[in-house]
Amino acid sequence: MAYDITKMRNIGISAHIDSGKTTLTERILFYTNKIHAIHEVKGKDGVGATMDSMELERERGITIASAATNVSWKDHPINVIDTPGHVDFTIEVERALRVLDGAVLVLCSVGGVQSQSITVDRQLKRYNVPRLAFINKCDRSGANPFRVTDQLIEKLGHNAVMVQIPIGLEDKLAGVVDLITMKGIYFEGSNGEIIREDEIPSDLLDEATSRREMLLDALSMHSDELAESYLEGTETVEQVQSALRKATLSLDVTPVFMGSAYKNRGVQLLLDGVVNYLPDPSQIETNALDVSNNEAPVKIKHQPDAPAIALAFKLEESQYGQLTYIRIYQGTVKKGSELTNSRSGKRFKVGRLIRMHADSMEDITEAYAGDIVALFGIDCASGDTFTENGLNYTMTTMYVPEPVISLAISPVDKKSSDNMSKALNRFSKEDPTFRSFVDPESNETIIKGMGELHLDVYIERMRREYKVDLETGMPQVAYRETVSTEARFDYTHKKQSGGAGQYGRVAGILEPNAESDYEFVDNIKGGVIPNEYIPSCDKGFKACLTKGKVIGFPIVGIKVSIDDGTFHPVDSSDVAFQMAAIGGFWQAFEKAKPQILEPIMKVSVEGPSEFQGNILGSINQRRGIIISTSEEANFTRVEAEVPLSEMFGYSTVLRSLTQGKAEFTMEFLKYSKVPTNVAEQLKKEHLEKDKKTETKKK
Amino acid sequence: MLPNELISRSPLRILEKSTHGGVGKGNIGVISARKGVGKTACLVHIATDQLFQDKHIIHVSFAADTSHIMTWYEEVYQEIARLYKLEDDNIHDKLTKNRVIMNFKQDSASVPKVLKGIRAMVKDAQFGADIVIVDGYDFEKSTPEEFSIFKEMAEEMNIEIWFSATVHRDDTNIDEHGVAKSISRFKDNLAIMIQLEPRENYIHLHLIKDHDVYPAADNLHLKLDPHSLLIMNES
Repeated sequence: MAYDITKMRNIGISAHIDSGKTTLTERILFYTNKIHAIHEVKGKDGVGATMDSMELERERGITIASAATNVSWKDHPINVIDTPGHVDFTIEVERALRVLDGAVLVLCSVGGVQSQSITVDRQLKRYNVPRLAFINKCDRSGANPFRVTDQLIEKLGHNAVMVQIPIGLEDKLAGVVDLITMKGIYFEGSNGEIIREDEIPSDLLDEATSRREMLLDALSMHSDELAESYLEGTETVEQVQSALRKATLSLDVTPVFMGSAYKNRGVQLLLDGVVNYLPDPSQIETNALDVSNNEAPVKIKHQPDAPAIALAFKLEESQYGQLTYIRIYQGTVKKGSELTNSRSGKRFKVGRLIRMHADSMEDITEAYAGDIVALFGIDCASGDTFTENGLNYTMTTMYVPEPVISLAISPVDKKSSDNMSKALNRFSKEDPTFRSFVDPESNETIIKGMGELHLDVYIERMRREYKVDLETGMPQVAYRETVSTEARFDYTHKKQSGGAGQYGRVAGILEPNAESDYEFVDNIKGGVIPNEYIPSCDKGFKACLTKGKVIGFPIVGIKVSIDDGTFHPVDSSDVAFQMAAIGGFWQAFEKAKPQILEPIMKVSVEGPSEFQGNILGSINQRRGIIISTSEEANFTRVEAEVPLSEMFGYSTVLRSLTQGKAEFTMEFLKYSKVPTNVAEQLKKEHLEKDKKTETKKK
Repeated sequence: MLPNELISRSPLRILEKSTHGGVGKGNIGVISARKGVGKTACLVHIATDQLFQDKHIIHVSFAADTSHIMTWYEEVYQEIARLYKLEDDNIHDKLTKNRVIMNFKQDSASVPKVLKGIRAMVKDAQFGADIVIVDGYDFEKSTPEEFSIFKEMAEEMNIEIWFSATVHRDDTNIDEHGVAKSISRFKDNLAIMIQLEPRENYIHLHLIKDHDVYPAADNLHLKLDPHSLLIMNES
């Protein structure tokens, strides 16, 4: 197939559990000739969609769940991108959403718009992803696609317009009326693969005519050309399709398709819809960030002859080694060409270049702007950007925030322990905000991340994907300590107990520092501390920073200047001045009114306006400061700043306060002083913990 | 300069003096002008002045997003800090803490919805508001009956409310005192009415109603400085 970016589609299929995403994906693969027989999803009742596909995969050895599967429909290459099943806001979900240009929102014709659909839809909205709706399961008893379309309008605020109406419903579902061509479409043959066009059944003609009017009314708002023809009654199928495409791309209209994937009704028309109404990669405005220019945004040129820019959005462990899925934004990636990882600066040669199909992988020699392919054996992390010709661009910001929460985890047996280290190794590669290390004091494995949910997702993944049986401790907030005023120190370290003595005197000022975490200033005059011992002082101060004296957390935001001291020609040494610096530091620290800092999170809660009071109340109870609220289409968003320590268990609380209809996201914002009463409590807890450790030691 | 000094020197004390104590709790004030003359700047300065006095502000807006309003507050704060040589960073934090922005979509926000939001903020979020600023309320579409609900709320919650009102350029429907009827028809529920009038180099704050006196004597001698976008003495 010759390269033509306007024919490419990169789409995601977003759905809530049990709306039939797996069956729909399976049918798409069947009709696009990627698999040759239809097998039903086993045990579909009571088993989540993710499990369905995993079971399917195991049974049949196909890779439905691969990060991107390439299919082809009517000469259009389509990459179907797997959107992660969990809906928590993590870097992984964010990346998957970034690489898709359009989405199909699958809804159940009986269940309609459920709270999870709302979450999924709002994520797509956040990234301005144009979408089609597919109302599935129209063969089920109680199916009502009209009601679901109304819910799309009321609950999700979509300007949803039906482009089809069903011919029969529930067990009588025979096909659909296409409101654009005004034809009845039937799906025949054992797998619905034969499409038969016919007249609209007479009893549906009125309904079809009035729904078509609704569609044309909605589209006329966005196309003058169509509006004019429509007034004259001369509108053509092409005009309607082109107006619908335009309005879908600008997110002004959501076309609603329907059918039943299980009964093989309507899937091919949905694929036509993907081709006709979802954008090609060149229609999406994408920016890269110029690293050499303070990450200023630069517009991507969707051209194959420009220098290559690609984003590694997913790493996958396959039986042949590590697969790195990339989305090429600009230029051409060729087998054997040289790319640079803009994060590490490392250059590498493209070895194997792969296109993933449902049941096979295909080695290819080159891939162009807009496409999604995979590389083999590249050492990189998920989220890395690869560029060509010395372009210093990145697709994601290089700024990686420090983790603010930690958790101790311990595997229950040797096998789990081995798998756990594999998992931790992988996760840290995938996600720069996730870290793990072994605490030398307690000998426990500690994982660190950006929030409770963030760590929960990884723990769950370790359990499910890596079969790790583990126990977890209580989440710990990463507090910091600092000083609030300046204080002088003057400390002499003297030791004379046989052999060579130790002597050093260091004096100076310890003060708060808003500019950086630690600054050392040498104001020594006249060599009262010899030059060779100045670094020793610095080293001594630095040694104090790892553990403060208030509650044992790292010290930040300070400046230490030394301006006086004394040395002894024989007894002074590197160690002696380090010891003097440490002594001096603690002497001043006590006097400089030390304070505890806590991470403050920027929290954004979204939910139906009827729960606004409950949401506001829940923020208030958590020492939160409400910054703003905004209301749109019966949805309220509350932006607040809340201490991380108060956010533990918030998802459960929010769920019960809002009948599961609200969601929240949070990200680290800043460190802020802990109020006195909380500081007292923390000090008390620290003392008790210290006492326990002491008793243990004894 | 210390915040106390800043408060006592603020030109807004003139406003209070000339209007017999200002708008006052349970009352409503309005700043009217044509589009783009400086209504939001005036309201944000009035709100910031109150924030310096430890008062709590709810700022209701009908903008595209809340960041726009926050930028206004940030700029007015920076101007004041520069003008009065404020150096304490903690003051800025305190000001932000005592201020909440509530944004509504103009086409979908009804008066009951806005009031419900304010009540939820005061009751559920326990935000003890002293002043509510409503910027962008559509007086043309409103009626005195609908507007009276705001007056009731101001009295019931013992708060002061400031509105901005847009007067259209081609609005020739004026009352006997030269005030656009689209605003003056609400005067029974307005304690203070100020009209912004563009002069050669600045914007004049014209006092139109001072509690029971309508029309009031135009004796504020205050202006909106077009450079700093702060309210200043006219001399």
